Amino acid sequence: MLAMGEVGGPHIKAGGAPVEIRGLSKQFGSVRAVDSVSINVAAGEFIALLGPSGSGKSTVLMSIAGFELPNSGQILIGGRDCTRLPPHKRNIGMVFQHYTLFPHLSVLDNVAFPLKMRGIAKDERRRRAARALEVVRLGGYGERMPKQLSGGQQQRVALARAIVYEPQLLLMDEPLSALDKNLREEMQLEIKRLHSELGITIIFVTHDQSEALTMADRVAILQSGRVAQISGARDLYERPTSLFAAGFIGEMNMIEASWNGTEVTFAKNFSMALPSSAVIDDVAAGPVMLTVRPERVEVMPEGTPGTASARVDDVVYAGAGTLVIASMACGGTIRARKGSADLSAIREGDRVGIRFPADAVLIYPRQA
Amino acid sequence: MQKISASSAPDLAVHPQPVRFFEASGRKLSQAAIVFLMLPFFALIFVAFLYPLLSLLLISVQEPEPGITNYVRIFENPIYATVLLRTLRLALLVSILSLMLALPVALLMARSRGPKLAFITACILLPFWSSVLVRTAAWSVLLQRNGLINQGLQAVGIIDAPVKLLYTQGAVIVAMSHVLMPFMVLPIYGALRNIPVELGRAAAICGAGPNRSFWEVTLPLAMPGIVAGFILVFLSSLGYFITPALLGSPQEMTISTLISQQLREFLDWPFAAALVGVLSLLVTAITLAFSRVFRFDRMMGAHE
Repeated sequence: MLAMGEVGGPHIKAGGAPVEIRGLSKQFGSVRAVDSVSINVAAGEFIALLGPSGSGKSTVLMSIAGFELPNSGQILIGGRDCTRLPPHKRNIGMVFQHYTLFPHLSVLDNVAFPLKMRGIAKDERRRRAARALEVVRLGGYGERMPKQLSGGQQQRVALARAIVYEPQLLLMDEPLSALDKNLREEMQLEIKRLHSELGITIIFVTHDQSEALTMADRVAILQSGRVAQISGARDLYERPTSLFAAGFIGEMNMIEASWNGTEVTFAKNFSMALPSSAVIDDVAAGPVMLTVRPERVEVMPEGTPGTASARVDDVVYAGAGTLVIASMACGGTIRARKGSADLSAIREGDRVGIRFPADAVLIYPRQA
Repeated sequence: MQKISASSAPDLAVHPQPVRFFEASGRKLSQAAIVFLMLPFFALIFVAFLYPLLSLLLISVQEPEPGITNYVRIFENPIYATVLLRTLRLALLVSILSLMLALPVALLMARSRGPKLAFITACILLPFWSSVLVRTAAWSVLLQRNGLINQGLQAVGIIDAPVKLLYTQGAVIVAMSHVLMPFMVLPIYGALRNIPVELGRAAAICGAGPNRSFWEVTLPLAMPGIVAGFILVFLSSLGYFITPALLGSPQEMTISTLISQQLREFLDWPFAAALVGVLSLLVTAITLAFSRVFRFDRMMGAHE
């Protein structure tokens, strides 16, 4: 922001376009890579597509970019049907996994390239490219060749090239996966800053859940070509709507249990009553999967009323936190993460009592 | 960190690397091994190329009497300058025609995979399996007065009587382009293959249609391969003998057929040697000029 003030002239102010994906399907041979995916992205929203490899997240992104032609479904960008429009006519910005700068062009010419394609005069496009470089804090690097920059700098040039023509939609295909950890965190902040400054709609593909949770307004979890859940970070972590989402985001204890409508029973015959809000998706009485986050598990002395007995298998000290792994009477293991200072001296082989707060437990139907 | 580096530095001093012929890891060769492995190549180059060339050049300035009389003769008679210019023009035309034919093929190869790529590669390399002589003879069969091409043109009605195709410059250019085209296709294909697919996508998303993408991204990045192929074909054409000798007109000699005539018909070794000297000088000068303009390491397909 400061940098732009120094250069003067109007700010790069793109604004965002809404994106509507309707029933998108893509088949590769006999494999359904994307299976009727529908996602609505509001104008100016930052949405992350998160999923393991092969979940279809990249295919969805490539369809939005126009590099994949879907077998069925529609893609609307800013209300315009772009499903069959070639990529060079879509006017969207994109940052790729590997920097993909043109090696024969200087940094400035790389950033000016999209403007050249749009027939903008040389002086004007050099001025605008220099300004875009200021926005990504690379002012003064214009005359260098891409090879002379570090990975992080190259990715910022790619970012400048993607926003210089003020597109209303920015696609990012795992743009930070080639960077090391510190640089990645710096770039995460950089991208968030650009998002709030430009108001551009961002669709961001990643397989890194913490990246998705920290950066995006909403996260769409994809699983074998389908959307498992779309929601904000907090909902996604605290109330995953499916067992897959529960297991995919963060660490989760999963314990086989049985449910009778009001009480859940696990660890042979330990029962606890649950509020109706703990039940996801009309669970019928019978076998269920009980889930609880490791940081919500309480470890008490054995015999404390209301606790299930367990034997400590391992204590892993990791500075601020300590992980306790214990096995219960039913044979299931349970992981508890506690602040190291909160734990009294627990050793391997000790017997302890395990308790879950009722509001920390969610139960799901057991998968077939 | 500092402690580690402080303790490891004297370690290196205490155990200097012994000179070994092959490194124990088996992955690196010592300097001596590299020189040893390259020896046969350099020996061959010296015995079969450098020594004959140097002794020829020596003849050109020693016989019939010491001095540069042979060279003076080349430059005094305009007929030799004409031959030289004709050879340069021929080489240039062959290079341009080869490039025009090779570029689309290389582009197609770079975009193909699997059996299709194997098929095109085989078509490109197949001519190497037959001798240049056979290929040139095939052209003379095709181009002769009652050959396939004349008959075909007559059948379609483009011409009424057979036209002279054989023993013309055109015949030489077409046949030489055919023979030398693989040397143009392969370096261009190599350069195109080195261009990451994602760059094309980046160009497209930046708003470049297929045409602009080709001119702005593909072509500049393929330029090292194009230049390499062009030089390879151009320099090969300059000294090319068989095709001009068999398909060319005796009235329109090239420098190679002229050298051959001087050697075999007039037995004038010193003058032929002087012509070889001029040709070698020309080739060296052109190579140096090209390597000035385009760096040779980039030309060999190496990345910067």
